[in-house]
Amino acid sequence: MKNFLKQHGLWVLFAAAVIAVALALLSFFSSTSSPLANLAGIVTAPFRSGYTFVSDWVFDKQSYYKDYKALEQENKDLKNQIADMETQVRQAQADSEENVRLRQLLNLREQRRDFNFESAKVIEHSSSNWTSSLTLNKGTDCDIAVKDCVITESGYLVGVVSEVGLNWCTVLTVVDTDTSLGARVFRTGDIGVAEGDFSLMGESRLKLDYLPTQTNLLNGDLIVTSGLGGYYPSGLVIGSVDEVKMNDSGTTQYAVLTPKVSIDSLSEVFIIKSFDIVD
Amino acid sequence: MRSRNAAVAKWVFYGLGTALLCLLQNFVLQRIVLLGVFPFLFPVLVAVFAVYEGPTAGAVYGLVLGVLCDLTIAAPIPCFYTLIFPLAGFLSALLSQGWISAGFFCCLTASALSFLLTDAFHALILALTGKGNLTAILLLTARETAVTLLFVLPVFLLFRSLFRRCRLGD
Repeated sequence: MKNFLKQHGLWVLFAAAVIAVALALLSFFSSTSSPLANLAGIVTAPFRSGYTFVSDWVFDKQSYYKDYKALEQENKDLKNQIADMETQVRQAQADSEENVRLRQLLNLREQRRDFNFESAKVIEHSSSNWTSSLTLNKGTDCDIAVKDCVITESGYLVGVVSEVGLNWCTVLTVVDTDTSLGARVFRTGDIGVAEGDFSLMGESRLKLDYLPTQTNLLNGDLIVTSGLGGYYPSGLVIGSVDEVKMNDSGTTQYAVLTPKVSIDSLSEVFIIKSFDIVD
Repeated sequence: MRSRNAAVAKWVFYGLGTALLCLLQNFVLQRIVLLGVFPFLFPVLVAVFAVYEGPTAGAVYGLVLGVLCDLTIAAPIPCFYTLIFPLAGFLSALLSQGWISAGFFCCLTASALSFLLTDAFHALILALTGKGNLTAILLLTARETAVTLLFVLPVFLLFRSLFRRCRLGD
């Protein structure tokens, strides 16, 4: 050991320190990703796309017959759901017309939700058990930026772009410990913070914290983004309340949320590049 | 001159072996979820390599693999693997030189040690940022180590054959 430290140990230690500091500085001073990480992402993107394509193809073939029965049942359930929703749509149309009339009476600006989307394919799911992330095949060449929200075709929030390179970007999903979003309880309008929790991440769930003390949450309550601060659009569906718990001190409550999106099975998503919302 | 060529050939062989195992990790292992986690081979690669090649080569290999991992895998800090893999390589080599003779059992122990170091570093960062829950961290560490140790055998067989081939070449 003495010989090693004398001959090479300090050099290896020095090299590790220099590279570590360089990586940290490059990452800190870059608003997208460090040049080295960008290069690594560009080089590995075709391989990631390739092996994701092959493994998805194999998985599809495997599950084709297995899923048939489940699809029949799902089809039946969806038909019932469509019938319910058609009734709700009719009611909503009447409500919208009333809303327009009232807004005109009060001289309010017309509500609108304009999003500028970019569709993207998932080329890699989490590459570590300690984070929950996705790699997508779109980057700065399509005007993707850090903190852009990523949603599914149904409008359910998947996560937020954390790093972006030329033709790739990394998305931290809603259950990752580094994710923290302003959230609103759809039914009551109460505001809180939806954030990833390490002990819940393995179960693909997250936490809704910092709620007002008088909040009365029910299982199944829908949680959406609050849009406060203007960083993220409002009204994106994060998930629904699974259970309500008290924190360790027993003074405040928090909710455990199940995201509406099944992160493991995602293959295509939409990145919100810009938005203009008037509520 | 001849020894330099042999050294270059050795590193090329190990590089190809590592690339093959990276493909295995990304193509296959990331899809195999056991006990809620998938096997994570990189700490095992560093440990097994260092067991056969000694502290200097082990630390250098750990450094290179660590940089590559930091550039391609999401980690809690930008230089996470760059810092921990050289240390894991160095300690694994010391284990084989001073405690257990290089072989499958040594590789298994060194891999477990490498995982403990990596996950302890994860735990430290999570604790410092206030995001960690000790029970959850320990559970994840135990599950990840147990699941990955099942896959030490292919890494051991590949690196042992490369080591023997390179030694014969010398």
